Amino acid sequence: MTRPRAYVVLVSTLMLASGLLLAQQAVPTSQYNTQGVTPPPGSNPTPAKMTFFVTSVGIGKGGNLGGLAGADAHCQALATAVGAGGHTWHAYLSTQARPGQPAVNARDRIGTGPWFNWSFAQLGAPQNALIAVDLADLHGDTLIQAQRGNNFFKQSARNEHGQVIHGIGDPPPIQHDILTGSNWDGRAYTDNADHTCNNWTSSSTGSAQVGHSDRIGNGSSWNSSNATKGCSQADLESTGGTGLFYCFAIN
Amino acid sequence: MPKIKTSALALFGIVSLASCLLLAQTQKPGEYPRGEKPSPMINFFVTSVPVGDGGNLGGLAGADAHCQMLATAVGAGHRIWHAYLSTQARPGKPAVNARDRIGTGPWYNFRGEIIAQDLAHLHGDTMELAHQGNNLNKLTGLTEKGQIVPGLYDYNDPRDGDWEYAKNTRFSSRHEMLTGTQPDGTAFTDSQDHTCDNWTSNKSPDPGKSGGNLNASDGRLNAQIGFPDRNGGGNGSWNSAHGTRGCAQADLPKTHGQGLFYCFATN
Repeated sequence: MTRPRAYVVLVSTLMLASGLLLAQQAVPTSQYNTQGVTPPPGSNPTPAKMTFFVTSVGIGKGGNLGGLAGADAHCQALATAVGAGGHTWHAYLSTQARPGQPAVNARDRIGTGPWFNWSFAQLGAPQNALIAVDLADLHGDTLIQAQRGNNFFKQSARNEHGQVIHGIGDPPPIQHDILTGSNWDGRAYTDNADHTCNNWTSSSTGSAQVGHSDRIGNGSSWNSSNATKGCSQADLESTGGTGLFYCFAIN
Repeated sequence: MPKIKTSALALFGIVSLASCLLLAQTQKPGEYPRGEKPSPMINFFVTSVPVGDGGNLGGLAGADAHCQMLATAVGAGHRIWHAYLSTQARPGKPAVNARDRIGTGPWYNFRGEIIAQDLAHLHGDTMELAHQGNNLNKLTGLTEKGQIVPGLYDYNDPRDGDWEYAKNTRFSSRHEMLTGTQPDGTAFTDSQDHTCDNWTSNKSPDPGKSGGNLNASDGRLNAQIGFPDRNGGGNGSWNSAHGTRGCAQADLPKTHGQGLFYCFATN
């Protein structure tokens, strides 16, 4: 009786495996547009006017972005590729203080706003393209601003191609963990723990603070929700990120 | 080997396959969950249907009754349900704050997922809490039937702006919740209308007063709304994002609303 039993086990295992494969198979985004993952029909892209985007791809080395300079260059390259290179682009990232080197606050790197995403007036209402009118609005500097929130939400936080970033509830890979290294007020951490993958140079040890582009998940902050498990690319991917970050035009 | 074991193994295989196939499908906004009943913990929901007379809900009492009726229909009528709505002060009648009507929490949705621990968490009473935010979002802001509320870009149909169409399809964009409330959960104290005359008016604004402006302006009937999906309107506030074009039922879909509102159990 061992042979039939082995057969049954084999069949069950195969069924389980095929079922799992089916469950994990990425559905083509064109057929799965329930979350507005691709630009909506009739939308009017204005990349030259864009002053904010989420990077469509990461640098690929985990938390090692080549420092702030490397991250800024990534923003500039992605923007240039879609015709938005006329602006000066900076990554929304903080670095922590080191001996002889003061901290850098992400909020001090991104100009004064207002910032707009890829498209104006997609819904006949220009406010849907607006991310925030100024630094205080973006960060919720007063209680009333913090309670209302900025206009940063899943459908407005688009990449430079106008696509929505996959978040909780979307097909994998989920990419909503966005590197910031920042506290919710947009400033660098002042404690001794690592919150910036060693100022964006480590792809192994350390940790980075991330925000959630869809504002869903463990804390719904766009810029400071939780810390990554480590700084390798695999560490970032294990908690719902791929090392994307925010880019703002400073002019 | 006993036969029962063989069939048990085969059954295991089939069940695994079936559950994986289920996993492969995702609930879309507006759809009902497959065969699920509300969690026994449910003490928060978004109304699946409006009262249907625009901003005239029959006052707070009418709105509360609507909550109670919808809850009862899904087996949650043993709790006392209140609508999350404020009313503004009138001569001889003090204002009512939405936050004072909904008990103390914690509140859970259709699936038993937490919405907020308490009133301070729900409203972000401190800077820390306000930045952290509550747990109300597109995937947790469910109706009493477990539906995700359709919002921006879920379905693109120009007829969504037409109440006659929208009332017959559960996929129309409808993510604006009537609240009549400021971000901190209290009633407005200015002299403008933010509550469709304390939830008794179904009137459109006088000609020339509607404009494209969604903020209340002098003499214009208006209701403040918020978004359970936090998507849109200039700030994504769950309870106080912007106003409406008016208080008639036909005015509400013009900005992606239908006159739905939040219900909380006070016990």
